[in-house]
This record gives sequence, structure tokens and C-alpha cells, in this order.
Amino acid sequence: MALKQTVAIIGATGNMGSVIAKSLANGPYRLLLMAKDTVKLQQLYEDVHAIANEVEQEIIACPKDACWEADLIIFAVPYSAEAEIAEKIKQYTTGKVVVSISNPMDKTFSKLLTSSCKSAAEELQDRLPYSKVIKAFNTTFAANFEHPVIDGKQVDAFIAGDDEEALGIVSNLVKTVGFNPIIAGDLSVSRILESMQLLLVQLGLRYNYNWLAGWKVLHK
Amino acid sequence: MFEVLFQNVKDKISLTSDEEELAKTLFIPKKLKKKQYLLQQDDVCKYLTIVEKGVLRSYTVDDAGTEHILQLALEGHWVTDMYSFLSQEPAIYNIDAVEDSELLLITNRSLDELYEKIPKFERFFRLLGQKNILSLQRRLTGSLSFTAEDKYLQLTKNFPDLLNRVPQHMIASYLGITRETLSRIKKNLLKDH
Ligand SMILES: NC(=O)c1ccc[n+]([C@@H]2O[C@H](COP(=O)([O-])OP(=O)(O)OC[C@H]3O[C@@H](n4cnc5c(N)ncnc54)[C@H](OP(=O)(O)O)[C@@H]3O)[C@@H](O)[C@H]2O)c1
Repeated sequence: MALKQTVAIIGATGNMGSVIAKSLANGPYRLLLMAKDTVKLQQLYEDVHAIANEVEQEIIACPKDACWEADLIIFAVPYSAEAEIAEKIKQYTTGKVVVSISNPMDKTFSKLLTSSCKSAAEELQDRLPYSKVIKAFNTTFAANFEHPVIDGKQVDAFIAGDDEEALGIVSNLVKTVGFNPIIAGDLSVSRILESMQLLLVQLGLRYNYNWLAGWKVLHK
Repeated sequence: MFEVLFQNVKDKISLTSDEEELAKTLFIPKKLKKKQYLLQQDDVCKYLTIVEKGVLRSYTVDDAGTEHILQLALEGHWVTDMYSFLSQEPAIYNIDAVEDSELLLITNRSLDELYEKIPKFERFFRLLGQKNILSLQRRLTGSLSFTAEDKYLQLTKNFPDLLNRVPQHMIASYLGITRETLSRIKKNLLKDH
């Protein structure tokens, strides 16, 4: 049996952090659940255990310790919290895969908060220059994780990044969750992926998709 | 986080502070809890590792399930499955943590980058290689021709620290003797003093 990768989920108690943790419970991963609220964390720990009682997982209150121990780090925090957390963990991310899932949108879902020439993923890469940032999971809603098949079709999940090996590692993560991974290009493609999700949110509000919507590329 | 590495380096070559900063960007900082694996047999060994804090061991497991320890690596020691690291073929060794440990890992690719950007590191690793061949020769000779007691005494002389930090069954495995033999040797030595 191959060695389990240690995955730190920063912001594990949020909508996305918790569904990612639960979806990885049966995969070849050791989970480090990090968030500020320890009561919520304990609940999540028990939920994950109920899904897979053999799962290796730990609760960690400090983002620095979680990242130091991790092989792969998932940033499941709001875009607005990323700069502060990146500063704390910077030293501990050298050579590691960091997954940017954020959609930097304003509260009314009318526009992106990033400047037009950079994505949130590229900003994170600038903040963690020696890590390998990969964009993933931003084009799938938290509600999709329980239903990765919508209308009979497996939802596509787009991935972008500059490091081949890291793209492969994150593709496996996406597969474990149950989505169909599609490598879309280098990290700059994150600009398109973040815009795509702004559009899907807007369409969802206009046509009442109730968050059960995803992307699927039709092709022959 | 890098103190032990740079102390280790300073014994052999001197680096400017810019070179230290550059080297820092090529090592992966990794904490490993006691009993967790860094490498499992049959996986490819991706890293050369230096122990900043803690203890690692490398070992094989035979068909009967018995562990045979090749190396017990304390602070400042380097550990890897050298064949697997160089060839990218499956490893024959397991590496895991005897204590909670703090490590620095470097990949083959980053090591090449280190040599290219700071050629002095070629000298460092040459000298380190010499030192390791020396201690491997000593260990091999010890294991071929020493009595169990001599092997034990050699270990206490070279690594006095180790005996208090590593469980007895691991010491016995490292020396290639049974646990019973080890406790008999220790008892006899106590009597002699
Ligand atoms: N929701 C979706 O469907 C969806 C889909 C795709 C992408 N995303 C992206 O995923 C990210 C998380 O979204 P979400 O909906 O899961 O948000 P959320 O439910 O508000 O969760 C945010 C998480 O981050 C933690 N957090 C907030 N500030 C923090 C800080 N300064 N330090 C440490 N932890 C902090 C929170 O913990 P505390 O409660 O303890 O503060 C919580 O665990 C966002 O970037 C979002 O754009 C969301």
C-alpha cells in the first residue's frame, strides 16, 4: 500500500472545508483539520469518523503546525482571509502543493474583487512563492460534493497550475471526491475559472438552480 | 527550522547569508509524528532527508515480519534509500519516525538546482559521502567480525545519546542481535563495573 498523503484543510469547518474533509475520508489521505472554532472542529471530526472509522485524522488549532506537517494544503477560507493566513504559514509551504479554491466575489455576486489582470490563485502563488499553487474545486459548489452527478452527468472540476506533478496529485484528489478532473491549463487560466464561477452563481440566482448546478463540457 | 542543516554545512563549507536564503527555498520543511512513515518499501524514495529534531530509522522487513534496522538517524544525520532516490526505482527500505520529528527534505531536482546555484554544495556532499562510506565500512566490519558485546560497546561510544532515546528492541535490531542477547550483554557489563 502506498504512503498516505497528509492533507491540511485550513478552514475545515466551513461549507467547503467540511465537505472536502468528508469526501476525502475514504481516500488514501491523512487529514489535518484546521479551523478556529474547536467545538465545530470536534463535530466535524466525529462526522468524518462516522463516514470512515479507519480514517487517520487530527484536529489542529494552529495553521502553522498544520502546514508544517502537511504534504498538501487546501485553503478553504474566504478570499479576504487568505493574505493573513499566507503570511503565517509561508515558511512551511516550500515545495508543497497548495490548493486555491477561492472565488473572490463581492457580497452581491456582481463582480470579482481581484484586479482584472490577476486571479486569487496567482495572488496566493505570489504570497507563497516557493509552494506549488494549484487552482481546483472553485467551479464546484459545496452542495455538489454530495451529488457529484447532476442530471445523470458527472460534474467536471477544472484544475489549473504550473507544476505537472502537482496537477497530477490534485487530479487524484478531485477524482477521490467524485468529480471528473479536467486540467485546464497553467495557473493564469485561474482567471477564467474564477470568472466562470461568478457567471454560474449569477445564473443560479437568476434561474433558481438552488446551488445544484455545475459545469460539464460536452464533447465527442 | 534550519539550524541543524546550516551547522552541518558549516562544518564543511562556508555560505554567505544570500546563499543560505537561497538554500532555504529548496528544502521542504516537514514534521512527522512518532510511528509515521516517510517512506514505505516499494514506493519510490523522492527525498534525501536531514533530521533537524527527533529520530528516524530506516529498515527492511523480512518474510517472517522481523524488522532489520539499517540506520538510526539522530539530529544532523542524513537518511534516504539511496538506490531508490538515485534511480527512481522502488525502495527496499522503510523510513519512519521513532520520535516526533522535524525534517528537511530535498528532491533530486532541487538538489541539482542547489549544485547549480551554489556549486560549493558539490563539495559538501562529497565530504558527507566520504564520511558516510567510512561509517558504513566500520559498521559492516563490526557486523562481520565483532562479538555482540563489542558491537554494543562501539554503539555506546559512537552514539551515547541513542541508547536513552530508542527502545531496546530497536537497538537489538540495529546490532543484529536478539533482545535477550542485548539484555544479557548489558547485565554482564554492569557486573564488570
Ligand atoms: N461555498 C461554496 O459553494 C464554494 C464553492 C467554491 C469555492 N468556494 C470558496 O471556498 C472558500 C470557503 O468558502 P465557504 O463557503 O466554505 O466559506 P465559510 O463557510 O464561511 O467557511 C470559511 C472557513 O474559513 C475559516 N476562517 C475564516 N477566517 C479565517 C481566518 N482568518 N483564519 C483561519 N480560518 C478562517 C472559517 O472558520 P471559523 O468559522 O472558525 O472562522 C471557516 O472554517 C471561499 O474562498 C469560497 O470562495 C466556496
